[in-house]
Amino acid sequence: MKILNNNTLKSMNLPFVLLVNFLLLGAVSCEKFELPEAGSIEDLTPPSANFSAVGTEDYLTYNFSNTSKSATDYVWTFPGGSSSTANEPSFTFPSVGTYTVALEASDKNLLSDTYSAQITVVEPPIPPAIAPEVINGDFADSSYDAWKIASFTGGTRNPYNGSSDGENLNYDGSDNGSKTAGAKWTNGTKAIPLTSSSRFAYQAHTISPGRDYFIEYSYAVKTGGADTDRVVVSILPGHYSEGQDALAATPIVEVPSTAILGKGNFTLAKERFTAPESGLIAIWMYGVSTVDSYIDNVKLYPAD
Amino acid sequence: MKQLQILTLVLLGAFVSSCEEDYLEPALTSAINGSNFYSNAEQVESAVINMYDGLQGVNSSSGNDNHATQIEFYITEMRSDNTRTKSSEGEAAQFESYDVQATNGIVEDYYRSFYNVIFRANTVLANLSAAGSSADQFEGEAKFVRAYANFNLVRLYGAIPLVTEPISPLNTEVAYTRASVADVYALIVSDLTTAAANLNNDYRTRASRSAAQALLAKVHLTLGNYADARSLLEAVVTSGGYSLESNFSDVFYDEGNSETIFAIGYSPGGLDSQNFSAEWLNAVGRTAGVNYVTADVRAAFEDFGGNRSAVSFRQDASQPNQYQVAKYFPNGELDAPYVADPTKAGNDWIVLRLADVLLLHVESIMAGANETIDPAALASFQAVRDRAGLTTPVTIVTKDLLLNERRVELAFENHRLFDLMRLGVAQDVLSAFSTANGYGFTSTDILLPIPQREIGLSLGALTQNPGY
Repeated sequence: MKILNNNTLKSMNLPFVLLVNFLLLGAVSCEKFELPEAGSIEDLTPPSANFSAVGTEDYLTYNFSNTSKSATDYVWTFPGGSSSTANEPSFTFPSVGTYTVALEASDKNLLSDTYSAQITVVEPPIPPAIAPEVINGDFADSSYDAWKIASFTGGTRNPYNGSSDGENLNYDGSDNGSKTAGAKWTNGTKAIPLTSSSRFAYQAHTISPGRDYFIEYSYAVKTGGADTDRVVVSILPGHYSEGQDALAATPIVEVPSTAILGKGNFTLAKERFTAPESGLIAIWMYGVSTVDSYIDNVKLYPAD
Repeated sequence: MKQLQILTLVLLGAFVSSCEEDYLEPALTSAINGSNFYSNAEQVESAVINMYDGLQGVNSSSGNDNHATQIEFYITEMRSDNTRTKSSEGEAAQFESYDVQATNGIVEDYYRSFYNVIFRANTVLANLSAAGSSADQFEGEAKFVRAYANFNLVRLYGAIPLVTEPISPLNTEVAYTRASVADVYALIVSDLTTAAANLNNDYRTRASRSAAQALLAKVHLTLGNYADARSLLEAVVTSGGYSLESNFSDVFYDEGNSETIFAIGYSPGGLDSQNFSAEWLNAVGRTAGVNYVTADVRAAFEDFGGNRSAVSFRQDASQPNQYQVAKYFPNGELDAPYVADPTKAGNDWIVLRLADVLLLHVESIMAGANETIDPAALASFQAVRDRAGLTTPVTIVTKDLLLNERRVELAFENHRLFDLMRLGVAQDVLSAFSTANGYGFTSTDILLPIPQREIGLSLGALTQNPGY
């Protein structure tokens, strides 16, 4: 100060020096005291962070519901290092498991609060598929009604020939010890070439759309006929009341027999298919054999 | 002399004791008041009727009256993706744009109306001893009404004050303490259980056993108790008292029909009339037109409506680019000029009907999953669709299909917002709707604000919901 007094005061006017002094004092006082500036008040409503997670149709994706109070800015921290500054983001977790999500809520006074929560992501259970019941699938009931289509223009509603030469196995897979009843097609009732006495067995079912099913049956074809002799079980995409319509439909799956092992020697045939969007299907069975052919134990069940 | 002193003391004692009872507060004999009125069953029944009068609300244009059910559409349907105001004006437009203020008068009106209904129900419950052999019936009705009011309030405002007896303005402790949501639901479940046990199925515009069961089932679905809900809903369906009207229009224009389980009754012309029917038309009521149909719900009708579309909404004849609700034309009159005063309409407000119950039945079987193929669920779903002329066999019901079916079947009956909330998709659906229409939805808009007036009167004891 002495140097300043001696040398500089002469060339500077007093007010300027005072101003510099005041500025210095001001700067010093700011560092010393943490008092708010005059007229301001303390932040009495500091932010409080809070949120909840709401699952969506995709079980890995969650919407976040921001229930913070007194906050203006948000930073969300998600697993895997990603973050968001949106008010209410949604986030897709990589897989099932338990994750921590944190939300830092702050206001413009730069006060902040952090809330974090554990989110447990689980895969929703898949409901069981409809298990349809094939009526008279073992042909034990001598009535054909369960296998008759409502009408058949130019054809017959009779679905098959009755037979006591079915498989030795019962419908539940147990051994009967002797032959059970079955369905039979003869040279006179075969489907190809189509005649007015060709017989087709029809049964409508409703199954779970988009799910996989098995159609399964046992067959036997007499020897001594043509090499192409066979029976066919197919699944049609819908319900039909008229045989001609069923005949014209393109099957979802067609399961022809492959072996010719003789009367009484049954072989299992099985095929997987996916149920159509409508869930409506029909079993459609017929014989294409110059000699007698047999079907027994027709089953329709979900693949899983 | 000593004997005289004793005698004086005895006499003094006698006077002192006679002063104890009602010397300073004599029973009022020249007039009737609340504490001496209820002395027989007939008088208690007048208190029961008074609850339904509270639910009706006052048909007036005064902001100080309780309008109750008559303004319910503002805070339910107009906050969903189903309806909006015609001209986006005034505080009514806060609802569609998800910009509701704590000072909104309609929010305050509904809150005050339904606490008034609770007060009326509590008055019945406090005077049951005078009701004689009708006490059980009146208790059931009062508990049904109290539960209905609490259920609406807790879904709309969140954790609310829980009032279980008549309180006066000085009882601020009860009026301004928010109970937990779980406590509110505990009272609702207990009230409805009592109501279902005490009531029979004599009425459609008063509480009944089936109404209590159906409402309790809805409460259980909200709480996730699916098995409890299912058995209650099946009890309603098999009670034999209810069947779907074959003609959808008769549900609304043939009052007291076989599908109605509980309705709030109105009659045209006088004090028991309502004005919401007029408000929903083009400048027939006080407003230019509210509860107008959104394009979003019209698209849903196109896909899922069947023959319900024509009964549910119509093009506004004077503004062809606008569509109005057709389920509640004043007094059933389709076109102006109206024979009766349309602002004093008599259309009942349907709270519970069989189609709602059937779809809740599907929901109870779905039990929180995304789909169901249960034959019982498919049958209930099919019954509702068959009536709408949509007879294609149903083979699977997904959550989306159920939501869409409820949306078009129960459109404009104040179900949509609660359905979205109950099925956990409110945030998903409403934020997409809000974005598509340029509104400002955030998840805190699902709950209404606690009315600012209540917070003010509580001197800050009541806390506000997040986001307001």
